[in-house]
Amino acid sequence: MNPFHTIAVGFDGSQDSKIAVRWALTLARHHDAQVVAAHAVGLLGRFDEQTVGAQLEESLFALCDETGVAHSRARLEVANGDACSVMLRMAEPPVSADLLVVGTRGQGAHPGLLLGSTSLELAEHSPIPLVIVPSAPSTGQASATSRHESM
Amino acid sequence: MLIINGSTDDRGHEDPGHPERPERLAAALAGIEDLHLGDDLLAVAPYRASRAELVRVHESTYLDELGAFCYEGGGDLDADTYATYDSWSLAQYAAGAGLAVVKEMRIRNDGIGFVAVRPPGHHALRDRAMGFCLLNNIAITAAELTSLGERVLIIDWDVHHGNGTQAIFWEDPNVLYVSTHQWPLFPGSGASFEVGGLNALGTTVNLPLPPGATGDVLRQALEETAAPTIDEFKPTWVLVSAGFDAHRADPMADLALSSGDFAQMASLAASYAPGPGRLALFLEGGYDLAALQASVRATFGTLLGSDVATETPTSGGPGADFVKGNGDTREVALRLAHDASQ
Repeated sequence: MNPFHTIAVGFDGSQDSKIAVRWALTLARHHDAQVVAAHAVGLLGRFDEQTVGAQLEESLFALCDETGVAHSRARLEVANGDACSVMLRMAEPPVSADLLVVGTRGQGAHPGLLLGSTSLELAEHSPIPLVIVPSAPSTGQASATSRHESM
Repeated sequence: MLIINGSTDDRGHEDPGHPERPERLAAALAGIEDLHLGDDLLAVAPYRASRAELVRVHESTYLDELGAFCYEGGGDLDADTYATYDSWSLAQYAAGAGLAVVKEMRIRNDGIGFVAVRPPGHHALRDRAMGFCLLNNIAITAAELTSLGERVLIIDWDVHHGNGTQAIFWEDPNVLYVSTHQWPLFPGSGASFEVGGLNALGTTVNLPLPPGATGDVLRQALEETAAPTIDEFKPTWVLVSAGFDAHRADPMADLALSSGDFAQMASLAASYAPGPGRLALFLEGGYDLAALQASVRATFGTLLGSDVATETPTSGGPGADFVKGNGDTREVALRLAHDASQ
């Protein structure tokens, strides 16, 4: 029996989130699952939502090509909210994911601090299984891009 | 009489280029100065909320982490929210401002309160900063009032849903939370089927509205969908999360209100207060400085009976169908929740 039908993965364009997406796509290929790459649009995100969305979709499909996953098996979901709330919503209808995947640190958070960590918040609140994909040794900690660079 | 918090120097909470900036508070206070209230304006001394007052609303571990984060120099808490070295102290004063204003109102049993502070508060959750907010100022005051046996109506007319306030009082039958907000928009919560937890069914009223909605639609939403619940709730206090970012000039959203609409909404809020000295407004959003100043002037000018010019209230925008749909959805959600709880 296939344990995963829909895998939701947090995607903000950071190196850590790309590692998480790559991991989710590889898992989806093995389990014939769909991948929903969720991008949270915060208060400031509305100013470049369309541009960022297009860039992320292009990046998602490039990662599909890299991992051998058909584009039809992955889609970008752009949703209003902070990263944690948006990921928790992925576990509910209409997405109804049965697995959440995130990187260790996205953009805007501080390495080494508990506060502001989406992965730790999700670990506390997620109603479904959660995978936190560590940074690759070569990339070290999360990208240090600022809010203004990232949005 | 307008009872306002004494000012603290909020310039320490600033991130260059960020829209939640000190000039916002200056614009709001300029709106009050425009009214030339003289002896009808009372500023109460700044007050730092105590740990005991904060933990009614926030988790201790969050308070510890936030304080430590600031003392280490601060930074970005998420993609929207920043904190600086001074933010922890200023956030405690912002939280204490509501407590001080309401305390003075209770002593006098009179006046209208204005808690003019930043950082704002209504997105802050029990355990997390969010949406420019660090501590939930209005929730901290509401919790103080309920601890004194009061029944608190919170009207939130900020253009964004106050997810933090809703979550904090989700299971509290002594707080009725009513929100008008643009939909869809950050933070993504505030659907009309969100009606409160099993211990407090019906004490959350969400009135999401489409982009372009005008003041007449917001008033219709309040009067048709929320008013019966408010009448039944019988509040003894009315607090308002008064964001002014639903103004048509505001860059953060797409509702189409004028300063005159805020004046009318304020009158409506005042009509729900059971008597004098039971209405206090808390500054939340509002990022166009001229619109913020004009809206604060119109709001408090109207509440205090000043002869002040305001922009004409707006009408004719979309959303009447939303109001009907909101009411229907809420009824169904309440019925389902009641059935599930049997």
